[in-house]
Amino acid sequence: MKQYRWMYLAVAAVVLYVLVPLLLGGNLYLMSLVVASLTIGGIALAWALLGNLGGMVSFGQAAFFGVGSYVSALLTLKFGLPVLPAMLLGGVGASLASLAMLPALRLKGPYFALAILAYAQIFRILAMEFRGVTGGAGGLSGIPQLPTVFGFDLSAKVGGYLVILSIVVVFLWIYYLIRKSYYGLALKAMHESEDATRVVGVNSTLLKAMMLLVSAFMTGMVGAFNTHYINFLEPDYAFGSSWTVIPIIAAIFGGYRTIFGPLAGAVAIYMIDQLIFKNLIPNGHQIILGVLLVLMIIFCPSGLVPVLVEKFKGKTHAEA
Amino acid sequence: MSELILQSLYSGLLAGGSYALIALGLALVFGTMKIINLAHGELVLLAAYIAYMAESMLKINPLLAIPLALIVVCLASVIVYFLVSKIVKDRELNSLLLTYGVGIVLTNAILLIWKSDIHSTSNEWFQQSLVLGSLYSMNSEVTFFVVSLVLIVLVWLWLSKSWYGRAVRAVASNRDAAKLMGINPRWTELISFVLSGVLATFAGVALYSYGVIQPELGSALTVKAFIITVLAGAGSIPGVLLGAVLLGVVEALTTTMFSSALQELTGMLLFLLVLFVLPNGLFGANRRRG
Repeated sequence: MKQYRWMYLAVAAVVLYVLVPLLLGGNLYLMSLVVASLTIGGIALAWALLGNLGGMVSFGQAAFFGVGSYVSALLTLKFGLPVLPAMLLGGVGASLASLAMLPALRLKGPYFALAILAYAQIFRILAMEFRGVTGGAGGLSGIPQLPTVFGFDLSAKVGGYLVILSIVVVFLWIYYLIRKSYYGLALKAMHESEDATRVVGVNSTLLKAMMLLVSAFMTGMVGAFNTHYINFLEPDYAFGSSWTVIPIIAAIFGGYRTIFGPLAGAVAIYMIDQLIFKNLIPNGHQIILGVLLVLMIIFCPSGLVPVLVEKFKGKTHAEA
Repeated sequence: MSELILQSLYSGLLAGGSYALIALGLALVFGTMKIINLAHGELVLLAAYIAYMAESMLKINPLLAIPLALIVVCLASVIVYFLVSKIVKDRELNSLLLTYGVGIVLTNAILLIWKSDIHSTSNEWFQQSLVLGSLYSMNSEVTFFVVSLVLIVLVWLWLSKSWYGRAVRAVASNRDAAKLMGINPRWTELISFVLSGVLATFAGVALYSYGVIQPELGSALTVKAFIITVLAGAGSIPGVLLGAVLLGVVEALTTTMFSSALQELTGMLLFLLVLFVLPNGLFGANRRRG
């Protein structure tokens, strides 16, 4: 298996970076759906990192998304910063915002989840109220587009796709590295018993704080990407609850304890939602997603990817 | 100025009544099953919309919608209970996600049935002002404040005096020991969900009678109820009432002195302050959270 791993990855890279743009590039609608689903996928990945490694349920990813969007938009609009570094700083801004949540790490389970939910509301209200900076409910428009790099226009649909794909791939890699590292092991042990892990000398609060910072950074940067991709921003959109709802459902659907699950879940859920559910019920199509979340939690809480992997493995064993 | 402050203290007190009903429902379920029902605010909102439907379609007083709302909301609450009890592992975390999902379903169901418009009562008597010295309120606010107080006292009596009420408290303090004493924990959990539905119904009808309702309000209500239970600390009914009044007063003062947009913000800040400075709540027993 091991020696094939690089081959699989190479094939996946060719498919994602060459075949998908070539095949779907002409269909702008489909391409925009793919970009949006990868945006959701990036948030789902960040949410799952916090949930799986940090053991924390966050109902506040929208706060990080919104902060990242605004930081990047304002840096480019008001200070004339180039878009790509501004996107990175958007992630940093979201991380800084998450510093305000650090005291909440003392709380566990439902208390942490609800405290984060409260934080998300606070950030939304602040963005609404500080009109001088954020443009208030009217929003910001004319946000700079993604630049042209080496003669390649990143602001076009295919360019945007390549940017978000690369962001997500890098996030996957970071997630993988963290999980493989000493920290990943400590976090896994913490999931079993936090007290026992503390006893053997692991600073569990520090580790959780780091996961929160990383998750906030990822979500903020995805938000920053989205801002420069759509070039418009308003508080209700940037801090909207769908940036929390859909990634959670996607991560649960795919399997939040796996690395690829949240991403696969996001692409599947977003596509099905937009192509099918939205046509069936134009207003309130999230009702089906809600039902899906409930069903998944009851019947298959570990998500579909682990189940599929299990099936696949079972078959190959039977053949051998 | 002092009159304005006095007036906001009064309005806050009145709002605190129905806040306490919402919070008590949430706290009851949290007490017996150690789960937060994130769909609780949506249950309240469901009752409010049933009252709206009764008034707008059947042209009757929203109060007459209470029986129907009781049936629907309690049924929904029981469904939430059965769904939660189906969870096999990791109940604390999964129940949060599950009830979050139920909340999404209810919000969108409300959106589908009643559209996204904002509604408030058109009942004249409810809207008439009631003057108490220099203090003003609507008839509906005072009516439902009294109703809330009566309900809270009834729940308190039930919990402390009746067999089932004591069973609920027994299960809340130690499920296994209660089971050994011949209490069926599943029954008591179910009862706490039904009672939580009853409280949500009255809170919802109250909400419609003096406020405005819209489909997205549910999660804000849940957060408010949770803020109050945190303010109150674990297992204290007078604490819930005081916490609710405190939240109501803080919100009313913010509206008077700053703007209504910041109203939610101060509630949240109060919540975070209490959570970090007084983690046992203002009136709670000496118990650590988690």
